[in-house]
Amino acid sequence: MNTLKLLSAFLKVNIQMSLAYRADTVVNILLNLMWLGWELLSLSIIFNNTDTIGGWGFGELIALLGVFRLVHTLMIALIWPNTEKFNQSIRDGSMDYTLLQPVNSMFLVTFSRITIWRAWDLILATVLIVIGVNLAGDTVTLPYVLTFLLLTVSGAIVIYSLWIVLIALTFWFTKFDNNVTILQALLDAGRYPVTVYPVWLRILVTFIVPIAVATTIPLQGLRGDLTFGRSLIFIAIGIASFLIASQVWKRGLKQYSGASS
Amino acid sequence: MFKIFQRLWQVNWAEQWQYRANLIMYLLYWLVSPIIYLAVWTSIAQSKGSVNGFTVNDFVTYYLTLLVVDQITSNIVIHTFAYKVQDGTLSGELVRPIHPMLTNALVNNIAFKILTIMGFIPVWIILFFLYKPDYSHLTMTGVLLAIPAVVLGFFVGFLLSAAITSLAFWTTRVYSIHEFYYAMILLFSGQFVPLTLMPKLIQDVAQYLPFQLLIYFPIQLILGKLSTAQIIQGYLMGAVWLLVAVSVFTWIWRNGVKRFSAVGA
Repeated sequence: MNTLKLLSAFLKVNIQMSLAYRADTVVNILLNLMWLGWELLSLSIIFNNTDTIGGWGFGELIALLGVFRLVHTLMIALIWPNTEKFNQSIRDGSMDYTLLQPVNSMFLVTFSRITIWRAWDLILATVLIVIGVNLAGDTVTLPYVLTFLLLTVSGAIVIYSLWIVLIALTFWFTKFDNNVTILQALLDAGRYPVTVYPVWLRILVTFIVPIAVATTIPLQGLRGDLTFGRSLIFIAIGIASFLIASQVWKRGLKQYSGASS
Repeated sequence: MFKIFQRLWQVNWAEQWQYRANLIMYLLYWLVSPIIYLAVWTSIAQSKGSVNGFTVNDFVTYYLTLLVVDQITSNIVIHTFAYKVQDGTLSGELVRPIHPMLTNALVNNIAFKILTIMGFIPVWIILFFLYKPDYSHLTMTGVLLAIPAVVLGFFVGFLLSAAITSLAFWTTRVYSIHEFYYAMILLFSGQFVPLTLMPKLIQDVAQYLPFQLLIYFPIQLILGKLSTAQIIQGYLMGAVWLLVAVSVFTWIWRNGVKRFSAVGA
């Protein structure tokens, strides 16, 4: 309950902050639409030259773009702003005050900044997924939709957990300002189905920086490509990675000695 | 003058060297999307034999050449300069008898470039062995002809970025403007796909825009795909855009600096 209250407080503060910069919000939304236009154009260029890539059709790639945008939103709306604040707090020692709060520090560090206007990206993503699935003409049944939702959430948790591990590394190596760049750099690989990529890149984005687990896999669930057992494995991976990340965070905190001491 | 540049070089080299971990991350960041596009297009070419006349090897040589060309022609002015206008640290540089953008920022960019190229060479060699491009149709003349084009491309790109960065004298939203500029590069430079695979309208417009000078024109020169007339047209276009970029930059800069001092920052 406490967590929910805190979350709504964070949301309120962040809405107020974004209202202070209205014009910026408008500009950002326009840029966001521009990128959507570019993404659709690049897909249409690809499909002018072929009917399928990696076994997926045009509609399916639109849907994948939707799922990709969900992960992208997670990155832009939550991961970036909070990492920036976190790195700053490690440098100037204000992390001390965060740790003194009587709430879970991992929650505080990862949710205190939220780029609110990005919420509209979630709507956009949902629209893309619905349109894409319709275009593809896949028969979508309720169990598939449920699998998709579960896999999307567990994929997001995998990315979230990787993020926790990456920023927790800062406790050990204080000068580690680039902690999330690797995530950001490989994110673009989520735009296309991993089946397109050469083996080394596929391994990289599935197992090492598991972008694909949050993009390709949920959509495979929606298409009914995954067996029940495999879906369960991916959901289990989501839970396991969260547990591991919390452990890493706890150990990291023990390493933390404050900027002044 | 030479001495000034020598000293600027030492300072900027040391500054960039300090951030070498950042450089590796930047390199990774910058490598990923061409490799993804390469994967997408080679997979299509493989399944269909060729795309609009482009074979798998055509795509491989295109993107591997793109990595080299883009490495040389791209710049990071927006990231190293705009904040100086915003937080006022530019004042210190303005009182010196050298141009902050055309000397300091330029040398800083070149230092950055040489450092990233040092990291880039081994990566490129690995990619070469992974993809085994067939470069046998490359000619010495093509490569030699491309060298001035790459240098030209760098300066056109640098001056355009410098002009956009100088808009920081007026607006804090200069990063958004730059994002738009970057989208134009994606659309018109041949970064995403060889321009001949783009829709006809985009190809026609791209011919007259400066963006293809940064990527597409040098690549086509290196790969020996251009006729003499096309080469001459490309260089003429480059010369025109260099002039335009110089004048736009000087105009924006002169007025911007006036404004800057007027605010008294």
